[in-house]
Amino acid sequence: MISKLLFSLSLTTIVATAQRGLKDIPDPDPVKQKAAFNLPEGMEIELFASDPMIAKPVQMNFDTQGRLWLVSSGMYPHIVPGAEENDRVLVLEDTNNDGKADKRTVFADDLHIPTAVLPADGGAYVANSTEILFLKDTDGDGVADERRVVLSGFGTEDTHHIVHTFEQGPDGMLYFLQSIYIHSHLETPHGVRRLMGGGIWHFRPETQQAEVLSKGLVNPWGFIFDDYGQTFATDGAGGHGINYIFPRSVFVTSPGAQRIMKGLNPGQPKLCGLEVLSGSHVPEDMRGVLIAPDFRGHRINAYRLSPNGSSYTSTRIDDFLSSSHRAFRPIDVKMGPDGAIYIADWYNPIIQHGEVDFRDNRRDHTHGRIWKVTFKDRPLIGKKDFSKANIDDLLKHLISKERVHREYARGELRKRDRSKVLSKLNSWSGTLSDDFSRLQAVWAHQALNTTNVGLVKSLLASKDPRSRTAALRVIYHRHGEITEAAGMIAQAIKDENAQVRLWAISCLAQMPGPNSVPTALQALDQAMDETLDFALWSLVREHAAHWVPQFEAGKPVFGDKLPHLLFAMKALGKTLSLDAIFTSLDQGTLTPDERKDAISVVSQVGSAIDLARLMDLAGKEPAIIDQLITAAQIRKLQPKTGKEKLLPFLDSDQPATFASAAKLAGLWKLAPAREKLIAAFTGSPKKRQAAAEGLRLFGDREALNLFVKLSREAPLEATRILAVKELAKLAPDQAATSAVLLLKKDTEGRDPHGLFTSFLQNPKASSALAKALKGKTLPTKIASLGMQRAGTSGKPPKDLMDALQAAGQLKPMSQQLSPQDMAKLVDRVQKEGDPHRGETIYRSPNIQCLACHAIGGVGSPIGPDLVSIGASAPVDYLITSLLNPNDKIKEGYHTTLVTEKNGNTHTGGLVSEGDTEIVLRDYAGQMNKIARADVKNITISPVSMMPPGLTAGLREDEFIDLVRFLSELGKEGAFKVSAKQFIRDWAVLQPHDRTQDGMGHYGTAIFAEQFDGYQWQAYGSKVNGQLVPAELPKVKGRGRNRWGVARFGIAPSPQGTVKLKINDTHLMHLFSGEKEIKLPEKGPAVVEVSGSKDPQHFTLAVNSAYRPAPVLLEIVTE
Amino acid sequence: MKHWLLFLLLTIIPVTAVTFEDDDMVVFLGNTVIERAQKYGHFETTLTLASAKKGLKFRNLGWSGDTVYGHARSYFGPPQEGFDRLKADLNELKPNVIIVCYGAIAAFEGKEGLPEFVTGYERLLKMISETAKPREIVIVSPPPAESLGAPMPDMKEHNQRLALYSKALADLAKKHGHTFADFFTTAGNSTGLTDNGLHFTGNGYQAVAPKFVQALGLTLPTGNQLQSEPARKLRETIISKNKLFFFRWRPANETYLRLFRKHEQGNNVKELPMFDPIIADREKEIEALKQTTLAVK
Repeated sequence: MISKLLFSLSLTTIVATAQRGLKDIPDPDPVKQKAAFNLPEGMEIELFASDPMIAKPVQMNFDTQGRLWLVSSGMYPHIVPGAEENDRVLVLEDTNNDGKADKRTVFADDLHIPTAVLPADGGAYVANSTEILFLKDTDGDGVADERRVVLSGFGTEDTHHIVHTFEQGPDGMLYFLQSIYIHSHLETPHGVRRLMGGGIWHFRPETQQAEVLSKGLVNPWGFIFDDYGQTFATDGAGGHGINYIFPRSVFVTSPGAQRIMKGLNPGQPKLCGLEVLSGSHVPEDMRGVLIAPDFRGHRINAYRLSPNGSSYTSTRIDDFLSSSHRAFRPIDVKMGPDGAIYIADWYNPIIQHGEVDFRDNRRDHTHGRIWKVTFKDRPLIGKKDFSKANIDDLLKHLISKERVHREYARGELRKRDRSKVLSKLNSWSGTLSDDFSRLQAVWAHQALNTTNVGLVKSLLASKDPRSRTAALRVIYHRHGEITEAAGMIAQAIKDENAQVRLWAISCLAQMPGPNSVPTALQALDQAMDETLDFALWSLVREHAAHWVPQFEAGKPVFGDKLPHLLFAMKALGKTLSLDAIFTSLDQGTLTPDERKDAISVVSQVGSAIDLARLMDLAGKEPAIIDQLITAAQIRKLQPKTGKEKLLPFLDSDQPATFASAAKLAGLWKLAPAREKLIAAFTGSPKKRQAAAEGLRLFGDREALNLFVKLSREAPLEATRILAVKELAKLAPDQAATSAVLLLKKDTEGRDPHGLFTSFLQNPKASSALAKALKGKTLPTKIASLGMQRAGTSGKPPKDLMDALQAAGQLKPMSQQLSPQDMAKLVDRVQKEGDPHRGETIYRSPNIQCLACHAIGGVGSPIGPDLVSIGASAPVDYLITSLLNPNDKIKEGYHTTLVTEKNGNTHTGGLVSEGDTEIVLRDYAGQMNKIARADVKNITISPVSMMPPGLTAGLREDEFIDLVRFLSELGKEGAFKVSAKQFIRDWAVLQPHDRTQDGMGHYGTAIFAEQFDGYQWQAYGSKVNGQLVPAELPKVKGRGRNRWGVARFGIAPSPQGTVKLKINDTHLMHLFSGEKEIKLPEKGPAVVEVSGSKDPQHFTLAVNSAYRPAPVLLEIVTE
Repeated sequence: MKHWLLFLLLTIIPVTAVTFEDDDMVVFLGNTVIERAQKYGHFETTLTLASAKKGLKFRNLGWSGDTVYGHARSYFGPPQEGFDRLKADLNELKPNVIIVCYGAIAAFEGKEGLPEFVTGYERLLKMISETAKPREIVIVSPPPAESLGAPMPDMKEHNQRLALYSKALADLAKKHGHTFADFFTTAGNSTGLTDNGLHFTGNGYQAVAPKFVQALGLTLPTGNQLQSEPARKLRETIISKNKLFFFRWRPANETYLRLFRKHEQGNNVKELPMFDPIIADREKEIEALKQTTLAVK
């Protein structure tokens, strides 16, 4: 037993926070680091600058003279008392054009953990913890001698979250980002602007206007514009790859968000930095590819975007490059003035300070590198000093084929005499006739804080939807200068392109008025998608004050468009007149979908009278019962009359219908229902549980007496257990004694009826159970399960945990290692651990890793995705996380504790926080909805949802193998999730009698049959994409044959068909729907299939009794 | 010319002077204008030299974007948590004099926002009185905004709102018997002291510091003293002390040091008191430099 091993090791119980386990501090010799790169064919890498010339680069940007500016922080993560602020802005130059920096200027050297720098406007903007500074050299010695505060009020709650990632937009504005723990309060002459949590800002220096573009994301450390001005962000802790950023978009962890958008690549490595490959030095097929450093995995990922509706499909392609050097930490990447790609290597074996001590001596404060990537046999582009170019020359470069030149030219124009530039720019603009040039001219105007309306109009009339959205983006920011803006948007909302419609909605959001919402809702007349739906939903709510009063005054806000009205009402979520909806329902003119939608809207926003009208319809639409449950629970609203119409549903022979009706009867306290519920409770096994819940919801003396009586006297144990469970919620004191008796019998330690959960819901109940346990004994297994449940309940009840420990005679759960023991264990992991065996242990159902974690998006979303945990976390960190989960909680995975006014508590991960309901995801993955009206407070709990002691049942060698496996995840080698599109998400068939009987008649086609009785369970491939036949549930065939059967879906491709590569077809059958696809007898094969996202669409059957070889399926694109 | 103008202002505005005593702990409270004052040191230097009392300690608790409700101090919770945090800070510092300057942000809400501002201000004053029991609370009106010309916004209307709020602050001070410092009026109409219309630049603070001190009813040190080498050193030392105190009371990484991840890196909170002796040393230097400066003729 590992616990025994650890206790025997653990003579002193010092907390292992010092984490002295990491021993493999790599050799900092740049030559060795260079040799550790793994580069694709045709690529070369050289050192551009290294320590001691530079140290700890955080962000970098080039200026218009081709010099590289970077901020460098040796102070991170926290100032040492008495130490000077001495972080720096450095400027690097390659004066002799040999490809290496040979001149370094210290522009400033008294900064405090600067996290961003942008040379612009004749100086440099620098992010300096609580403030953004503008530093300027006025006497030409290269050193800043003038300093002003541009903005202040940025939070510093975590120094790897502070304001960062400066990017100058093509519009001339400064864009900057902040991360999850930061709360910023900026005072501007336009009013105060606040942003809680992560998000993206834009700021125009000329007017001092600062606004929030997008909210959320955990650590949005990368941000970029594409060639048409669309914006994308990466997240250093969120794991959704590329995120499409549009105005008012809201992403994960934004405080108070009721609804969020997802990124384009769920389950991808976490990224820092982002760049679009461009320019003639880059091979043609790579231009337009987005590259982003995976600093945990010592590599740079690559993604290719293609338009999809109003958003994009992002496909991860082969890594741009990777390294096996453990201290290579690429955190920024930029196209350079010579067309090469520059990588800022933060160089550190330790990547952050939340989990590793601020003062850990393995933390590197002195090294740092800039690497330069070029391509063999391709000429670099000519470097040019734009500061010496005249205005005419700059205008020419605005339409250069080299994107970097366009950017430098635009940046340089901002520094020149504005009226001279404008006059030349205007006449030059008149000569342009193609979209590309016109867009550059529009941006140049915008960069000079003005608008060329004629050019905007011409772009809006373009045949290319990308140009039309670019024009709308200008209108979004500058509609006040465009008199015809309203008319332009009224046209754009009807555009044939979905992204143009999205931007029309965004523009309307900037122009609130009586028509903004009705106009935007016209987007519903064409195909919608998630992104459009989000934008429209958000606008309807934001502009409620502009359309609701009109609607209430009886004005025809939505004309005769019922879908518009339904959408608006659903989005708003508040009670409004539903006459129009009922008229349509009564007339029976609605399609089935519209009808469903209409009913759902009534239940979500209707009054008590409306709900009564809904009850009349329940006979034909049983789903209404569930909607009325939500109305009663969340909205605290019941039908004004006619509740007795529910009674017939309690006679239903469908358990699901009965269960809903029972719950609703309880919530309504519908007196005539009680007899029926009691009868079901005592007499019907299938309805028992639902009946008990319904009765408990009555919550009165009569219910209490009934449960007391049944908990003691009911002939069936199942009835007694249910009675105790429900009683725990009504009168815990009276339930506790019976509960202890039941727990005593539970030697398996499974608590199949969830008794603990019932008692843990309320502090009074848990105390009652603690009291009843006094002087009693419990089987060890059930007592430790109780400890797990209590320990992860957000606010662990100390009295109950003490009582369980005593009753079960448990040793303390917390397993602390001394530094020496930790070092020994780490050493053994590195010397003895077998990651392949470790993966098998990881996947075994006994230790439940899979129940909560995913690897590369495959698996459960409850806990953090472990895709690159090995590359980012030292081994000692992994060990501590397994033994004492509460010591290490990942950002964004803290448990939220919701306390209701009646004292009941709920814990879980916060999914959404709305006006009417809070949604938590609990440890079992269940979504738990709590009415806002019942909530007393919501707090962040310091307790992990991961229970301690999960690995206690492992042997010592097994534990070491498991840690070794985790420590390999994301590192170069066999446990790095590949960019290849393997089939990883499956549903596997559980053994079923039907198969053995049916095989005689149907053969393996029996598995592909659409039969409701089959049980399919979600299942993931191994990290390398393989399915191991022997590990699949064994479905009986004829004789000794045992079949592993797994289903999967494939997203449809624009071509209509997809090529599927199979490693070996030996003893394998494959079905598309119910139709078998002909496969060769054995060996590799490629088959062409048509895509369908339906996860049940394809069925694979493999004879696991006779085929040990793993199965690997891959979607191949040319 | 400058002195003449100040003299004129002093004759038209009745000012009750703030009184300091030896070893007073003086707290500045407010939003950006107060917060940034600690970076440049002009307010504090001039104030230090304007009082003959010994051993004055100044602590700047200004916070960008803050309101009388504590909006900017709240971190992860509702404004009430920010308010409670301020309460805890005051409880620890126990100031004898507290100089409060709010209203610059609230004024954006105009006439409609005034009642909420006044209610919040009274709640703040009550909390300050109960928590710190200071000998004196000084209510300072916010400085006027500057119109810097297109494309920067015209702040004329905002100044009318600020005047309204300043008047309300004067009434509030009177009602509760606190000292009122009419910085809105003494600061006068100017341009070029700010680069965003609201917040003073370094030069702006230097120019406006005498007016701030005059608003508090104190007599200015002489021009010779203010421009002397010891005064320059004094300001430098004050800035250095302010930085140290900032790292002490408003440290970065609060999430780990004191909030919900303190179980991970909370052990590092032990470093915060290590700033205290360094701050005390600086304050000795400040006291000595003050005497040297005041000896300048």
